[in-house]
Amino acid sequence: MSYALIISEVRRGVFEERNLDSIGMAHLAGKDAFLLIPEGNYNLNNSIVNKIIKAKLEESLFLNPLIITELISKIIGTLGAPEIVIFTHSSSGIELASYLAGKMSLPIITDVSGYDRNEQIFFKSYYSDKVFGQFKKAKESPLVITVRSGSFKDHVTEKGKNAEEITVDGPSGIEERSFVEYVEEEKTGVDITKAEFLLSLGRGIGNKDEIPKFEELANLMKATISGSRPVIDKQWLPKERQVGTSGKTVKPKVYLAMGISGAFQHIAGMKDSECIIAVNKDPEAPIFQYAHYGIVADANKIRDKLKDLLQG
Amino acid sequence: MDILVFVKRVAATQEEELRLIDDGKNIDLSKIPFKMNDWDNYAVEEAVKIVEGQGGSVTAISIGSAESDEVLRRAIAMGSKDGILMETQEAIHDPALRAQAIYNFLKKEDIKFDAIFTGVQSEDDQFAATGGILAGKMDLPYASMVIGIDAIENGYFVLRRELEGGLQERIKIKAPCILSIQSGINEPRYVSIMGIRKASKVERKTFKFNDFASRGDAIIDLIKWSYPEKKGGATMLTGEMDEICKEILEILKKKGVC
Ligand SMILES: Cc1cc2nc3c(=O)[nH]c(=O)nc-3n(C[C@H](O)[C@H](O)[C@H](O)COP(=O)(O)OP(=O)(O)OC[C@H]3O[C@@H](n4cnc5c(N)ncnc54)[C@H](O)[C@@H]3O)c2cc1C
Repeated sequence: MSYALIISEVRRGVFEERNLDSIGMAHLAGKDAFLLIPEGNYNLNNSIVNKIIKAKLEESLFLNPLIITELISKIIGTLGAPEIVIFTHSSSGIELASYLAGKMSLPIITDVSGYDRNEQIFFKSYYSDKVFGQFKKAKESPLVITVRSGSFKDHVTEKGKNAEEITVDGPSGIEERSFVEYVEEEKTGVDITKAEFLLSLGRGIGNKDEIPKFEELANLMKATISGSRPVIDKQWLPKERQVGTSGKTVKPKVYLAMGISGAFQHIAGMKDSECIIAVNKDPEAPIFQYAHYGIVADANKIRDKLKDLLQG
Repeated sequence: MDILVFVKRVAATQEEELRLIDDGKNIDLSKIPFKMNDWDNYAVEEAVKIVEGQGGSVTAISIGSAESDEVLRRAIAMGSKDGILMETQEAIHDPALRAQAIYNFLKKEDIKFDAIFTGVQSEDDQFAATGGILAGKMDLPYASMVIGIDAIENGYFVLRRELEGGLQERIKIKAPCILSIQSGINEPRYVSIMGIRKASKVERKTFKFNDFASRGDAIIDLIKWSYPEKKGGATMLTGEMDEICKEILEILKKKGVC
């Protein structure tokens, strides 16, 4: 029987919403959806998958690549090989999927954001969404994929009945890799998620010396400054200002993005803003696909002009 | 500690127009500048820092065309002892093929190491998979999204992995292992032109990629590339700088934020 094995991601007891994209992918591909999940109580609609496989092991072991690989091969031993193994394209999803693919010599395609059902072709981003590669597996074998969050959840449909549940024993912990603890980001003064107006800066502003000039503009406009990941990595701005999957999710009234290309990890953190204005030198920058207003220009020149106008 | 770091030469396309040619079978990169993959820069720095602290060596390894020597020289200028090129003129689109070639190379040439570092992903294909696949093949412990190495003690790395939304997890992982390094873990050192020139004098060995794997061993096929679907997109503000900026202020006023 051809089924999709969906490896769910649960973190601190929460069934992550991006799992719906994995389930939607299985539905779009027309496969029975078998959901693998560590034992526990989650907020999960039982009728959107065909089978729930509950693994008797702690979450931190479930998310350990060395352990989940063992668990998956055990499941395949019992249920037969799936057509496709689906993970989320997240920090842990990528880690688990690539390790599994290597260990079991399976083909892998990551960051899948589109699927052509007739041709069985998977679309994945290249160069931060400037182009997309169309891939197929070249070997008769289960395929491993990670799916981009937000891409497939609209394909989730109800099956009309509750999933059958089975329980499997999980492997025990190992010393090669073990979980120690969670580390929370330090809480500091600013909370960009509370701001109504964000002036968000990307690598395109050029260098650290430009920051004070943007701060002056922010003061004049009463905006709060935020930034993309490279700006934080380079320590032009502190970590608490980062927008995106590994930073904060923001929904201000206005998001003014200057010199930001629009990689999905960034977009995921700001796409629900009420009004997005993007300034970018490159007319093909992916951010223009998500913005309400776009300006093809040098961000630093726009900044200086806005300052002039505001200072009257 | 002896660390192998995989580095890749990638097209710096952020500000460039990408043109698909040959019916989408190729991307025209002829006019596009190249550089070291951003994530690898952080990986090299992290490896060099460890070796500076406790001894050992860093060897940079790249798969790519002869021009990839550039990124090896850069890695050497940053503090790597030497460099190895697995030369191939053909682009490789399957991370499993890349990992297979590396696996065969390390076995056949009997290369010893205590850890292998890669960047989390490369900027071109964004697969983020080569390190993990290699670890699976070699049966070595693996961690990705490494955002801090807190200690190396008794044969273990104690490190932090970056998760979503600012959360991290601390884990313990046994060496030898493979770690994929996340950007922002450190501040990569500045490399001068002089430094890169000096690095040219350090030995780099070249091997033929095809001696370790062939393109036919790929287990996924790239059919072609296409441009993203247009989603409607933004209303573009055009005209004189002055007019554009007035329009922006008008929008801000309408939204009640300025
Ligand atoms: C696991 C993981 C998590 C990540 N998490 C995040 C995250 O939380 N947040 C995040 O932002 N990224 C994140 N990233 C990184 C993401 O993939 C991109 O690399 C990043 O968002 C790019 O930032 P950028 O747009 O500022 O830089 P670039 O992609 O380099 O874009 C710079 C842009 O500036 C434009 N430009 C250049 N000069 C000018 C000028 N003078 N005027 C106007 N425009 C100009 C260019 O045309 C280009 O579009 C993550 C990546 C990974 C792998």
